[in-house]
Amino acid sequence: MTTQTRNPHLTGGCQCGAARYAIYAAPSRIGLCHCRMCQKATAAPFGVFVEVPNADFAWTRGAPSRWQSSSRAFREFCGTCGTPLAFHPIDRDVIEMLAGSLDHPDGAVPTYEVGRESKLAWLTTMATMPGKTTLENMGADRMGTIVSYQHPDEDDDQPRHSAGKSS
Amino acid sequence: MASTTTARAPVLTGGCQCGAVRYALYAEPTEPSICHCRMCQKAVGNYFAALAGVRRAKFAWTRGAPGAFRSSQVIERDFCRDCGTPLTYRPLDRDRVSISIGSLDEPHRVHPARQYGLEGRLPDFAGLASLPGETTDAWAGERLARLATRQHPDHDTADWKPPAA
Repeated sequence: MTTQTRNPHLTGGCQCGAARYAIYAAPSRIGLCHCRMCQKATAAPFGVFVEVPNADFAWTRGAPSRWQSSSRAFREFCGTCGTPLAFHPIDRDVIEMLAGSLDHPDGAVPTYEVGRESKLAWLTTMATMPGKTTLENMGADRMGTIVSYQHPDEDDDQPRHSAGKSS
Repeated sequence: MASTTTARAPVLTGGCQCGAVRYALYAEPTEPSICHCRMCQKAVGNYFAALAGVRRAKFAWTRGAPGAFRSSQVIERDFCRDCGTPLTYRPLDRDRVSISIGSLDEPHRVHPARQYGLEGRLPDFAGLASLPGETTDAWAGERLARLATRQHPDHDTADWKPPAA
């Protein structure tokens, strides 16, 4: 089968690992959207979208849930853990993946933005806000006690953490 | 008799994209911040999570009930099971509920002041605020006039069903 012999260019998935995907070509574009629909769908100041043709994309584990947010598009997400995964236009043959769901989001560099009418004012100073690493914030003792139920940042063939589901 | 919950006036309201789940904050949220840690990144599918919190008594779900995923033994993250919007970061061992700032009806009212999880901060993060770009009007043009949104409005509603798709 073509899908299995192709080598993924990028992989990603949700926090719990129930839904995993692969991208088989360099993205056609990567950009931010500050519009109020993307803000509320992703609960963030903006969404970051990695666009690829549908032909260069496959779900490799599970199937996402989806909700039609407008006449133009579906939003796809993991029904088990809620991670927003994709903006999927109806009228274009592409899928736009949420950059933070990539296993290595630093490999996807955005080059443009849209939706400026609702861009939040504090974004201009966010890079210089005071900050800490997780270790500095939590301390080694507390951090050492944390048991993460998050899927690792790579494909694997392990059954997923049912212990992570609270309901 | 009116309960305390219905009598008090929310300071801020919010909810998911489809409107199945709505919440109210009865105090100004404190410690607004962004977190770049890999768990927050993957939970929200983004470069960072933007969060601010209140004590549990100052938070209420006002419509529907969220799904929850326990991302570690001390944290649950609530989300809408119908549309997927991430809604909270909820420590199990602290009297605190943090909401996702983008899910607020008025996200511009809460300004993050600190960053956490710097080990996961994206290398190009400092450049994100100055990318070339445009408004949705300029970008979408006539297509926008034909767009039929199904998103819940940015305020509480007495009755709500998304328009038929």
